[in-house]
Amino acid sequence: MNLQIKQEDQDNIHELSLSGEVDAFTAPQLREKLMPLTEKEGETIVVKLANVNYMDSTGLGVFVGALKSSKQNNSTLKLTGMTSRVHRLFEITGLDEVIDIEDVKGGSV
Amino acid sequence: MNIQSCVEVRNEWDIVKARQEGRNIAKELGFGSVDQARITTAISELARNIYLYAGKGRIEISNLDSSGKIGLRIIASDDGPGIKDIRKVMEDGFTTSGGLGAGLPGVKRLMDEFSIDSKENEGTEIITTKWLR
Amino acid sequence: MDDREIQLRRYKSILSKYLDDQSEQTLYKGQQFSRKMIEQKISPEEAVSLHVSAMESLYPDMPQEFKNSYAFLLEMMIGYGFAYREHQSLRSRQQQLETEIEIAANMQQTLLMGEMPTVESLDIGAVSKPAKKMNGDYYHFVQDENDCVSVAIADVIGKGIPAALCMSMIKYAMDSAPEQRMQPSAMLGNLNRVVEQNVDPNMFITMFYGLYDSFNHRFYYSGAGHEPGFFYNAENDDFGELYTKGLVLGVSKKPNYREYSKDLQKGDMIVLLSDGVTECRSSKGFIERDEIVAMIRSNLHLSAQEIVNTVYRELEKMQEFELRDDFTLLILRRKV
Repeated sequence: MNLQIKQEDQDNIHELSLSGEVDAFTAPQLREKLMPLTEKEGETIVVKLANVNYMDSTGLGVFVGALKSSKQNNSTLKLTGMTSRVHRLFEITGLDEVIDIEDVKGGSV
Repeated sequence: MNIQSCVEVRNEWDIVKARQEGRNIAKELGFGSVDQARITTAISELARNIYLYAGKGRIEISNLDSSGKIGLRIIASDDGPGIKDIRKVMEDGFTTSGGLGAGLPGVKRLMDEFSIDSKENEGTEIITTKWLR
Repeated sequence: MDDREIQLRRYKSILSKYLDDQSEQTLYKGQQFSRKMIEQKISPEEAVSLHVSAMESLYPDMPQEFKNSYAFLLEMMIGYGFAYREHQSLRSRQQQLETEIEIAANMQQTLLMGEMPTVESLDIGAVSKPAKKMNGDYYHFVQDENDCVSVAIADVIGKGIPAALCMSMIKYAMDSAPEQRMQPSAMLGNLNRVVEQNVDPNMFITMFYGLYDSFNHRFYYSGAGHEPGFFYNAENDDFGELYTKGLVLGVSKKPNYREYSKDLQKGDMIVLLSDGVTECRSSKGFIERDEIVAMIRSNLHLSAQEIVNTVYRELEKMQEFELRDDFTLLILRRKV
């Protein structure tokens, strides 16, 4: 059970491509990468989740923290390409209405 | 107390030198081979910490004779960045998370007495003793 | 004779016997001896030194190269001794922590779990098991003088002690707002404020809050991002989702919590769960909500408490008795 994070930067857009699982074990690793990016004003952070097959509530917590930080620091956070299984978590928790989510893959949304 | 040896630690060669001095003195004082190896390892760790975290410092090795008890004392001192949270570096398991003060609890256990004093931006002094039994 | 000399004598006699006979029996003796050495906290370098001393006295004319090699081996073992002693010290610290956690867990049990309501019209079952020692799930029933029963189920993200501490905070926030007990949406709004102000930004809480009115058998409820429960319609023998839409507690300053209601007929059931229930993993993959429904369905003839106990036992078995997340399952069934 592992998480790989690939980062690509272009001007003020930062793309994090995740693959693997975002759970209690890997969440700290993601937080360490994601949080500093959200703390710079005017930056856009795009997190690609197409290859994330499992996320638990600790994983969601990282995005909640990132969302709060991006609001505080006037940066933009976007999540793209998540599977419908992962999207269900965002839906149940109501986070889909406060986080910018694009391009959900497969299944009903 | 007569200082028997003082090694300035600036590079890895100096670590070897400090080890050698420590071993010679330990042997001279009559420590057995296991204790010799322990003392040497303690010196090694202390010198390595100086080299890695302070850049340079000193290892002083001396013999003690207090009311018939024979001992070997190591003083490791530097003017480096110091240790912010001594309690933390003296915790087991801290070494594995990397960072300052590698192996200090281990050194403490290899020796009989151990004291540490450190101020941020001023430096660190560790005094540790092994008694001959 | 001191300890070391006694040890040396024993070691030497076993070793020299082995050098003579190379038998399995002597090796077995050696193994037993090593266990004793571990008991006496003999470190690896001392064990090597014992061997060296034994060899030196058995073979006084040992070649110098061998002697040197032993000195080298001794130096190698000091590092292992380091690790060994650290391991021992960590182990005793772990035992100490476990004792503390044990006490904290007991305190939490007494703090959080109140009495189960006894209302004539309701059959109630509840099970809540922590994945570790402390429970980040929370449920609470309150029965008032009019036989109204309020029920709360909540899940703090993460597990263990931080989650449990957070849960205690929620309990007191709920206890201190008795006037909101009758209004699920207001209760959640109030709790959201408490959580939003007091909790680490990465932390949030999901919660479902409901109120059962025994007078008209109507269930009022609101959800804050909590895993949807089920509603069982006895007449149609049908399970449906008890859907609520609402943001988890602690994220936004002013979320809106909608209030829903459901009328219960005799035999109808409300099933509430924590996401530990549907995040359960078996060797075959995730345990789907349908499977939970199937488990409940095949046990409908039992009492509510027996149903939740049975489901818990089955899920436990499917996960090979290793809970990944805290687990809570509640059932309220209208009896009459």
